[in-house]
Amino acid sequence: MTHLTEGTLRRMVDDPDVGREDAAHLEGCADCQSLFKSIQDDARSVARMLAVPDARVDVTRAYARVRSAPISAPRLGFRLPTLMPRSRPMVLALAATFVAIAILAVVAQDFKTNIQPNSVTPVPITVADMQALSQLGDYGTVTWTKQPNLQVVSSAAEAASVAGGMQPPVVTNLPKGVSANITYAAMPQAVAVFTFSSDKAAAAAAQQGKTLPKMPAGMDGAKLTVTVGPAVGEIFGDLKQGSSASDISVPQLVVGKSAAPTATSTQVTVKQMEDVILAQPGISPDLKAAIKAIGNPSSTLPIPIPVPYATSRTVTVQGVQGVALGDNTGVGSGVVWVKNGVVYAVAGSIKQSDAIDIANNLK
Amino acid sequence: MNLGARRVSNVKADDEAFEALFRSEYGRVVGIANRVLADSHEAEDVAQDVFIDFHRLHSASADYAPAWLHRAAAHASLNRLRGSRRRHRREVAQAAEEGERTMDPQKQLEVDEDRRRVREALARLAPKPAAVLVLRASGLSYAEVAGALGVGIGQVGTMLRRAEAALRKEVTRDTSD
Repeated sequence: MTHLTEGTLRRMVDDPDVGREDAAHLEGCADCQSLFKSIQDDARSVARMLAVPDARVDVTRAYARVRSAPISAPRLGFRLPTLMPRSRPMVLALAATFVAIAILAVVAQDFKTNIQPNSVTPVPITVADMQALSQLGDYGTVTWTKQPNLQVVSSAAEAASVAGGMQPPVVTNLPKGVSANITYAAMPQAVAVFTFSSDKAAAAAAQQGKTLPKMPAGMDGAKLTVTVGPAVGEIFGDLKQGSSASDISVPQLVVGKSAAPTATSTQVTVKQMEDVILAQPGISPDLKAAIKAIGNPSSTLPIPIPVPYATSRTVTVQGVQGVALGDNTGVGSGVVWVKNGVVYAVAGSIKQSDAIDIANNLK
Repeated sequence: MNLGARRVSNVKADDEAFEALFRSEYGRVVGIANRVLADSHEAEDVAQDVFIDFHRLHSASADYAPAWLHRAAAHASLNRLRGSRRRHRREVAQAAEEGERTMDPQKQLEVDEDRRRVREALARLAPKPAAVLVLRASGLSYAEVAGALGVGIGQVGTMLRRAEAALRKEVTRDTSD
């Protein structure tokens, strides 16, 4: 019989009865005995080295601590993007739709109607506000029946096929200094369903030491369905090889369009849902005020403007009202508008006047 | 409405499953982290982070829950061990903990010194061998170690043997330097 392997011998140190045949071999084999001895020495020596005083734990206290720990992210099923100043314009363009949807969900006025905005309005928002939105997860469950799946593709045709036939926009007047090297990105339609849970809401409120206002009948189990996209975009600039959607960094220009998001719901009126959700402790008074200030959310898409990072003003683009972000320093600017049920965004490390010019000439 | 009621009961069931999982595994998860860090307070921090991460992303009734927790505890604590900024704090805490015991001061110094050297050697091992040592030393069975590391149970003996030889070598190398 061949000699025992080191692995087998090691196991025999812990469990001498592991196999009768092996034990019989060891008994009659001087070589294996010698190896066994040295393996056993190492094992014992390491056991001594790694010995530590036992940790005495209070499981009940530890459990209470874990249950009260703030859960940072991603409670919504996706991680909200962190705004880095240098990638601000692009992040705005990519993130605006998702975040706007979350806000739209909150402000949706007619739950029985399919909501589709036809204009945009700026809403000042802080990063903390954006993160507060992730607390929606404390009030119910968010499931993606179709996950957002942004893909980097190699051609306009491929982008269109990923995006269900939506053609990428064509930039006709690229500003000087912007690379004509284009990377296409596309996302098929994504669908999220938020289901309100009164149990979860009560638990979340209790953790803040508060009680929820009395809830309307039908609130428990009410569903809000939000669709995003499909969307297509072009990124102008020299990206590193093997770029994926997540490591596109600091492009010079991003141009994108997306089917305007829609929201539908069941069981409750909007006012009721809005009241309950706005009552959550994490949402700042500013955001509450901003949400309430939106005149007619069934026709207006709120575009979140990160307060510390950008200024905004209303502009006319392609004959409709849009919002311009940033300034003319060339550090970063962007324009967002909605036309014929499609949300468009142009953003990059360019002057605001260039961004508006590109927007007006987009085909 | 039945759907809504079922959803609520699902939430409750999930919370109950998480609490049961926590109660059955918390001690072991702390044990694994303590084995690495030799500091029970820091080990509890790691263990709680591990449970929070788990709860955020996984269902407590998943079959793989204990294996996931064991693996995460080993990796999270080894990562912490490798972070040199923590090292000093840990030594201080450890010295204080030992200081509460009645031990001959000379002997205590030796114990501290040995423990420090072993942890430094452990931090230098590759992640997998380090994890094998720590999990087995924390009392996990061969099957549990195999589950945590996603390897066949037949491989555990060999991995353990190699890791033990490597750790001894690292510690000796450190001493002879």
